[in-house]
Formats: sequence, structure tokens, C-alpha cells
Amino acid sequence: MPDKAGQPKLFGARVKRVEDPRFLTGRGRYVDDFVRPGMLHVAFVRSTEAHADVLSVDVSGARAMEGVHAVISGEDLAHVKPITCNSTYPSWQPTKFHALARDRVRFVGEAVAAVVADDRYLAEDATELVQVAYRPLEPIASVTAAIREGAPRLHDGWEDNFFVKRHVKIGEPDRVFEEAHGVLELDLITHRSTGIPMENRGVIAEYDPADEVLTVWTSTQIPHLVRTGLADFLGVPEHRIRVIGPDVGGGFGIKGHLFPEEIVLAALAMQVQRPVKWIEDRREHLLACIHAREHDHHLQVAYQPDGEVVGLRARIYVDCGAYSVYPWTSTMDTGMALGILPGPYRIRHYECEAYSVTTNKCPLGPYRGVSRPQACLSIERAMDEVARALGMDPLDVRRRNVLQVHDYPYESVTGLVYDSASVAESLEKVLELCDWGELQRRKQAARAEGRYFGVGFGHYIEQTAHATQEFIKRGVPIIFGYESANVRMDPSGKVLVHVSTHSHGQGHETTYAQVVADELALPLEDVRIVFGDTSSTPYGHGTFASRSAVLAGGAAIQAAGRVRDLLISFAAKELEANPNDLELADGHVAVKGSPDKRVAIAQLARWTYWRPERLPDGMEPRLEAVASYDAPPGTGTFANAAHVALVEVDPDTGGVKTLGYWVVEDCGHMINPLVVEGQVHGGVAQGIGGALLEELVYDENAQLMTTTFLDYRLPGATDIPHIAVGHLSTPSPFTVSGIKGMGEGGAIGPGPAIAAAVQDALKPIGDVFVNELPLTPERVRRFVRIAEESAGDRT
Amino acid sequence: MITTAVTITVNGEAYSTEVESRKLLCDFIREDLRLTGTHVGCEQGVCGTCTVLLDGQPVRSCLLFAAQLEGACVETIESLATDNEHLHPVQRGFWEKHGLQCGFCTPGMVLTAKALLEENPDPTDEQIRTAIAGNICRCTGYVFIVEAIQAAARELRERGEAVDA
Amino acid sequence: MKPSRFDYHAPTTLDECIALLSRYGDDAKLLAGGQSLVPMMNLRLAVPEVVIDLNRVAGLASVRRDGDTLVVGAATRHHDVAMSASVREAVPLLAEAAAQIGYPAIRFRGTIGGSLAHADPVSEMPCVAVAVDAQLVLRSPRGLRTVPAGEFFVTHFTSVLEPDELLVEVRFPVMPAGAGWAFVEFARKTGDFAVAAVAAQLLLDSDGRIATACLGLAGVGERPLRAVDAERLLAGAAPGEQAVAVAGEQVAATVARQHGGTDQEREYKAHVGRTLTSRAVRMACERVERSS
Repeated sequence: MPDKAGQPKLFGARVKRVEDPRFLTGRGRYVDDFVRPGMLHVAFVRSTEAHADVLSVDVSGARAMEGVHAVISGEDLAHVKPITCNSTYPSWQPTKFHALARDRVRFVGEAVAAVVADDRYLAEDATELVQVAYRPLEPIASVTAAIREGAPRLHDGWEDNFFVKRHVKIGEPDRVFEEAHGVLELDLITHRSTGIPMENRGVIAEYDPADEVLTVWTSTQIPHLVRTGLADFLGVPEHRIRVIGPDVGGGFGIKGHLFPEEIVLAALAMQVQRPVKWIEDRREHLLACIHAREHDHHLQVAYQPDGEVVGLRARIYVDCGAYSVYPWTSTMDTGMALGILPGPYRIRHYECEAYSVTTNKCPLGPYRGVSRPQACLSIERAMDEVARALGMDPLDVRRRNVLQVHDYPYESVTGLVYDSASVAESLEKVLELCDWGELQRRKQAARAEGRYFGVGFGHYIEQTAHATQEFIKRGVPIIFGYESANVRMDPSGKVLVHVSTHSHGQGHETTYAQVVADELALPLEDVRIVFGDTSSTPYGHGTFASRSAVLAGGAAIQAAGRVRDLLISFAAKELEANPNDLELADGHVAVKGSPDKRVAIAQLARWTYWRPERLPDGMEPRLEAVASYDAPPGTGTFANAAHVALVEVDPDTGGVKTLGYWVVEDCGHMINPLVVEGQVHGGVAQGIGGALLEELVYDENAQLMTTTFLDYRLPGATDIPHIAVGHLSTPSPFTVSGIKGMGEGGAIGPGPAIAAAVQDALKPIGDVFVNELPLTPERVRRFVRIAEESAGDRT
Repeated sequence: MITTAVTITVNGEAYSTEVESRKLLCDFIREDLRLTGTHVGCEQGVCGTCTVLLDGQPVRSCLLFAAQLEGACVETIESLATDNEHLHPVQRGFWEKHGLQCGFCTPGMVLTAKALLEENPDPTDEQIRTAIAGNICRCTGYVFIVEAIQAAARELRERGEAVDA
Repeated sequence: MKPSRFDYHAPTTLDECIALLSRYGDDAKLLAGGQSLVPMMNLRLAVPEVVIDLNRVAGLASVRRDGDTLVVGAATRHHDVAMSASVREAVPLLAEAAAQIGYPAIRFRGTIGGSLAHADPVSEMPCVAVAVDAQLVLRSPRGLRTVPAGEFFVTHFTSVLEPDELLVEVRFPVMPAGAGWAFVEFARKTGDFAVAAVAAQLLLDSDGRIATACLGLAGVGERPLRAVDAERLLAGAAPGEQAVAVAGEQVAATVARQHGGTDQEREYKAHVGRTLTSRAVRMACERVERSS
């Protein structure tokens, strides 16, 4: 097979990003940077009630205001279908999420009306004139309230307040629990938080009556799915909709949804016949975008005297808020937690009940790691507690239970096929990287000075780049099975690649160009990557779930490979050579061993389009290929990482500072190690934020208390320490180029690592089980008091 | 509409105009002057994406009204290089060290870093982190940002020494 | 959110300013640094019909020494207070506190007068003012009046300022030679609002015992707290761990008695008050020793 030897490969190189200059010079183009001729501005009226009948919406006062062009409410969208996204699981109960509330609101912030005005300031003035009459209903502000006897049903036709109930029982957990040396019961609580991209959402919609085309710019991770969703719910023919995802200022899964606001803006554009823009403000974002993370896990762990964990039982509740989210359904968190809870361990006896519960809160959807941070918290804290019960080193308990290299491919008790990983090796390597012994000495030295340092460990294995087979199992209506790339070489020999994914910070313009340039022996600058515009990019599902580099990168490699084959065929004719004797190098196709017998790729390209008479028989005048890649075996390729955190706890104020953080990660082959490390750093920072600072707090009336950044605290540069990252490489045996996904992983480890570290820091004070995130000062003080009491009990 | 007449110098150019009194400086910059490099993230002065330099000092443009800046000198990200050949060392440092991902916090971060290095040409990592603590980045975890600013500091010091020599 | 409509005025003299305040009263808000006011306007929690910009009023931003008093103009920026050689020399507690306000961008605009008038009980400036019994000079159409800091703050975000009244300067007693001071704050992250803070200033007598103590607390109630009970216990005590502990315990008791929240909140604030007081008193004692 002809190869492309001769020049340094871009694959694996720390290439600086080609997209950076526009961001550095302030020329990035995010939704709010677009100005359309005659554009008007939209502001929403949002529910102040958590649960209420909407008796009337009087927009007359607002409509009469000067500068206001239109005001609509739910009844004006009677022709629009509500957003629905339904699971195929038997216990599933569906919701209807109207773009503007009809007769009922179910969370504070739900959109009730929309104003179109000359500018945003005026539009907001007009929202104050919209009069909504609510008849309040009993608000359900927690899972406990939702599942208790006699709780009001939040959705018509439901028999209770569960979106879905899952139950699995594999092996013989009953017997194993009976026979085990010991059983632990643990509760792990992760409170609500969310991704918080720095750019809020934004939508511009414009209807061109000449073309009869609706164009929607939106800050999204899933442009094609938004297009199909708009077609389905708004009833506009899909071939007359163009969705453009421009530069997106962060997503983290949160922007991987179809939103009611996108539907409203599209409807308004067609109604007022002028472009309309809505830019979400931060308060709206915190109230009404997508929430995440809110899990309650109750575990039972059966273990033997040598630390082997033989059985696991769990009951999981996820507070999924008011509506099922599109395109994931409200089963995503529960299903994933249920599936990955046993972690990278040889646990063969497992029972799990998992429940998605509806409450009067903002809908919950996937955020970086989805359920893996919470599942990792549970299983890792369980391992630590087994160690404590047995007086063992927690690392030895990991060593006793963890999968070894000869175990892979390993089918987990829940049917996940861990194809390859380095969990055991990463554990040892991170201990080296952080100099675990030295950290312990630092801890003792600090203790001598009256300070409380703690060291904590957490590791995980995670499914990445899962495609068709996996999503079939998940009972979701859209099987996220593949991504696509169209590679096209122009007459000058330069290459344009259109991909179906959508970078929102991951550097695809660089990483995809690296692999395509390698495939075609071209310099990086000769390859341009385009994504986000549904009128030019092939259909795909977007960027989420740590899959883009594998699936779209894989598709790009395959499509580029086909273009390479075309060039080889053409060159074979031109050079009168055997295709097997040809190679691509330095912008030429040359005969191996005879470098003077060659033809420039640019020359071949020009001839292809201008001199078709030169083409070999059967070759069309096109250097173009499109490929779709559903990475085999479809159940994903598994990445892993090990994390260590060093913290200092102030037991009097409850303050926790993260002093150091170490990661050893394994995502197989890396296209661009700079990008990989950046993703790890960013994920870890979000994980630390979730472990210590970030919480969306609802009161007992389901009113959101954290509506600004004064209440919802984000980690800044003094909250995140230096993060050291080491790498192991266990390539995927299945994927093109052996790469695995890794974008989310950094966010998975910090929860357990920091919880364990805080518990370790409090050990001199006494015993306590740290099991609740985030570790706010008040919660830390509570753990300190428990530790003090336990010491008192002992004396 | 209640307006105020104001003359503000932005990136060296003087703009004389009538502006609605309540119009925030960030919106004035973005909409009236079409300089969209300054971003809006929270309108509470916490996130720092709206940071501009006012008479050389980093300030929150979401907490200023354009109307109150008569005679003021504002610099936005566009006042640094606008083409890839003539990047400011801070911009170059961020590029070399992968100090950005989605780019939304970047203009505010770069300006804050520029102001820091003008005041403290040889900062420690801790001083850098303290100086940028008011610029939230959700993508990078700050590690490469600190390296970027150190790289820029080195380049500026070398340039400065070259000039002095 | 965008702010609601308002009429904007930028007076250049104090008289103009007072005249405007007098005319518009409750319908007007004074704009100094804007770091507290504009966030509220950007949520439409503050909806003034008139905004009076203080930034052009001559003579409102200044730092000067007047005998045993440090006089700070109300419109002086936090950054300038923190960096001023005069402030660092005369009332180092004030400089140390100002340096811990928010982030650099906040400090470049925010003013001492704005912070005091805003009357947020977790803020640094009210805490220091109350601790050292600063005198606040207020001006209205009726003339000047001076209000001691201890009487200035009423409750959350409420002071004794009348609608037509303006804070023009703050007068701090110059710290006596040989005194020690400390400003200790606990926030959940850099630049965040304090959970609680303590401002401490101690003067020793010729026997090396504590002659007078000033202790102010932020974040433990609806107003900054002057911990007079703790101050009384410190008077006459030898500086050292025992004094530290006593002061801490007394502050905890005072906070526990006064705090209006839930049991858990009260207990937490009492303990944080105890902790920060101990640290502040300890640090103030150490600074005394170092300067003597």
C-alpha cells in the first residue's frame, strides 16, 4: 500500500492552533457579533413561579410601547409542537416542553412570553409591562418531595413523578452479600451545578421570503440536530432551514441541546419578517438553560478480608427537573451511572435501581462527564471506606480490585466492553508523578506546624467515542452513531474539509487539519477545516461525549485516504508507474526510490478539474470524498486516568485550598498533546469547582437562590493549582489511528480525589466520611464536628 | 430616549456622539463602535470577559456607562495587533503556549495580563494568578495561561533589554 | 439584564451635587465607582430615575493628614487607598483592608465612600471604619454633620444617609505609634465577598500590656460589629495566646447572641468570628512586637 513517508508527521505533534489568531485579536465571531440588516432584539418574560397554572398572559401593554414590534405568548405558538424527546424504556413517561408555556409553568425561569423591540434595553422595558396571572400550585423542590406519598403529579397522565425507573441485577448479589466478610452502607450526594460556558446562549433567526429559507445562528454544539428539531417542531421543511453554529464560547454539553428559545426566535423571525436576535444574560442562563450533576447514591458494598470487593448494590436518584431534554431524554444520567458505577474493578455481582425524577427545577442534561463524576465519587469513596474498615492502605484496596493489563478486553458486569486501558499502570505512574511518599512527608511536616494537609486519590475508566451499538442500548430516540467528513481538493491542490462536528474550544481546526495534512503529505496551512454551517457540512450529531476526534477525525482520515487513492491513480497514469510503487511526500506523488520521477499534487489537482482528458478511465473530474465513521465496535473505546489531589483544610473556617493536582491520563494515541493537556486542565478545573465551589441552590419553594456569579462561584486562577499531567498510551485496538476520546475525563477525578483528601486532612482530628459535594465551608465544618465527636467517642 | 453627548477616545480614535444614558460601555463598544472583541459574560463585574483598559487600568466595561466617560481613553483588545504578523508579546505568548480554547475570555485576559506586565515585568506565578483572579476561564484551567504570561514577560524583558543596550 | 432608563447628571461641584440630590431625593442614586450600584441596576434591583455621577466633582478624591486624623475623600479609589504612602503610614489597617477588596478591576473604580454608603455588612471598609471609630462627614442642603461609624450603619444596605445627603469624607484616627494592626478576611475564593472579616488594632501601654483594642467584624450580622465586650476583656491583658483566646471566645459569644439566622448559620458564624478574631489579634500582637 503506497505510503506517505518522508516528512515529519503532524500527528502527535504539539502544533499551535491555527484558529487562535482571530480569538487573540478580538475577531472571533460569536453569535452576538453578527449584525443582520434590520435586526430586532428579543427579551423573554420568564416565570416567577416554580409550579403554577397560567391563567392569562396580557401582552397589550407591552405591545403598545413605542419601539416594540411584537409580543407573543404560548397561545401564539399553537401551531408549534412542544419539544418532546422520549426514551424506549418500558417505564418511560413523556413530557411536553412548550417553547412558550401554555397553561402551566413547571420551573422558575420557564419562558412565558417574548418581546421583539428595537433594542434589548427597550425589549426588557416592555417585558415589565407583560402581565401574567398565575395560580400557584404546590412546588416540588426535591426528589424527596417528588417521590413521597401523595405528591402532586407534575405531568399530565403520569402515575408518579418518575421519568424512568431502571433496575438491573447481574450475577448473584444476594448470595455474595450474605457470604461476604463485611458490608458497608454509604450515601454519596452531589448537588446541582452546571457547565457555565463563558459565553451565554444566543440565537439570531432570519427568514428570507425570496428564498423561503430560514437561517438560524445559534451558539450550539449540535447544529444539525437543531435543524432537524426546528423542522420537526416548527413544521418548516428541513431543506429550507439553515443552522449556523459560529464560534462558540464554550459548551461542555450544556449547549448540546435544542432549546425552546431557538424555536421561539425562528417563529418570531417568520412572523415579523425581520431578523431577530436574542442574547441570553447570565441570570437567564443560571435559571433556564441546562442544569446538571444532581445525584443521590446509596451504596452497599460487600467485601472480603483481603479488600476484594465482591458485590455492589446501589440505589440512584437523579433530580432531572421539569422536562425531558432534547436530544438525550432524561434517562442519560441514570443509565450511565447504572452502567459505569462498578468502575475499573472486577466486580461481578451487581444490583442497581436508578430513577430519573421530575421536579420543579430547570431541566437537567449532560455536562462534561455526565454521570461519571458522580459514579466515580461513589465507587472511589467506597474503595476508601473498605480500606478504612480493614485498616488497609486505600491504594492497596485499589490494587486488589483493579483490572490488570491481561484482563482486557474486559466485559464489565453491566456489559460495557473495556477494550483496552492502563488503569493499574496509571495508578502507579501517578504516584510516581506526584511523589506520593513526599506528599505524605509534606503532610506530616504541615501537621507539625498545626496545619491540616490531606492527599486523596481517584481514578476511573470511561467510555468514549461510543457510537451505534451503545446508543441502541440506551433507548434514546436518536442513535448517535457516526460522524462524517467531506474532503475536497481544489484546482490549486489545497484542501477544504467539511465536518459534522462542532468545536467549541477543542481545537478541531487544528487537529483535523493535522491528520488530513498527514494523509495527503501537505503542509498544515494547505488544509482548512470548516464546521457549523448545515448548508455545507455533512449531517452529523455534533460535538459531545468525547467522540469528535475519533469519529470525525476518523472520517476525515478515511475521506482523505480516498482522495489520496485518487491522486495515486492519476499519478500512476501520468508517471506510467504501478500504484504500489508510489508514495506521497512533500506535496508530490513520487516513485519510491526515484525522487525525480514525480508529479506535484497541485499539478494533478489542476489537471483533474481543467484537463479531464488526462484522467484515467473511470475517474471523475473530482478530488473529493465523503466518509462516515462509526468507530467499531460501536460500544466505545475506553480511556482512563488517575488523579491525585493535595489540599489544605482550615478546620475552623471550613475553607479548603487545592495546593497541587496530578493526573496521569491514557487516551491512546494523541493527535495533539497540547490540546489533550489543555482539555485535562480544563476538566480538572471544572471538577475542582464542582468539588468545592459550585452549587445551584433551590429553596423549599423551588425558587433558585443562585442567580448571579456572586452566588454561583466559579474557580479562578488562585483556586486552581498547577496541574501536572503525565501520559500513558494504550491505543485503541479498534479506532482509526488508535485514538480514544478524552475531552471530558479531567472533570471525573477531582470529586473523589478532593473528598478523599479532605477526609485525609481531618484524620488527626477524628474519623469522618466525607460524602457530599461541593465541600462548602459549612459542610466542612459539619465534617470537622463529626470528626471531633468521633475522637471524643474514642477517648 | 434620554441621551448624553460624549466624546470618548477608543483605541486612539476619538468618537463624539449622543449615547443613551443607560447604555453600558460594553454595549457601546460592541454595538456603536462595532468592536466586538470585548465580550459580555455576566453584567455583574465578576467574570471579567468585558475587561477593557481605561486610562491604562483594567476595568469592567459592564459596570460603566458610556455617558460617564467624557474625555476618557479606552483600549480594547483591538488596540493590540490586528494581524498575525505584529502580535503583541502577550498575544504571542498565549498562542505559543495554548493559553486559550474557546477564546471568549481571551480578550479580557490578554488586556489584564498586558496591564500586569506593564506594572510588574517579572511576576511570580502566584502574582500572575492573583492578577488574573478576576478573569474567569472555563476552558483552560489556567495552567497554560500562566505559562503564556510568563513567556510574554520573558519576551518583553528581552525586548526591553535590547532597547536599553 | 440591562438597566432601566435614567437621566444622567455629572455635576462638577459639591454644591451642584447637593442641589441635584435635594431636587430628586429618593428618585436619584449617586454613582461613584459603580462596582456595587451598577450590578444592582443591571438586575433592575436598583431603578433610579436619576443618576448623579460623582466622578467629576472636584475635591472628593483625596488623602491628607490633618494632625491626628487621616482624612480620606469619599471618592478616593480603593486602589489609591491601598497604595497610598500616607494611608499605609497613618492607618495601615485601612490600606491592608482596601488591598483585599475584590479584584484589581474592582479596586481601580470602587471608592471608599461608595463602599461605606452601600452599607454591605460583609464589606471591608465598613468593618474598618467601625473598628477604629472613623468619623463620617455628611453634607446636605442643611449643612454638614459628622456621624461616628458606629452609628452610621443601620442594617443590610441601609445607613443613616438621608435621600438628599452625600458622604464627603471619612476621618480616621491616625494609628498611634507602637500599635499593631491586622485585617483578616475569610472568603471562599479570591476576590469574593468575605464570609467574615476582622479588623484589629491594638495599642500597648508602657508596661507592655494592651492599653486599648479596636475590634470590628464584618459578615456576622446585619451591620458591622464593634466587639466592645471583647475589647474590654483585652484592655489590661498581656498580649499573647491567652488574650487571643479570650478575645475569640467573647466574639463568638457576642455573635451567637446576636445572629439572627438558623442554628447552623449562627454556630458557623460564631466559630468563624472566634477563629478570625484570634488570628487578627495574634497578628496585631506580633506586629506590635516587631515594631517595638
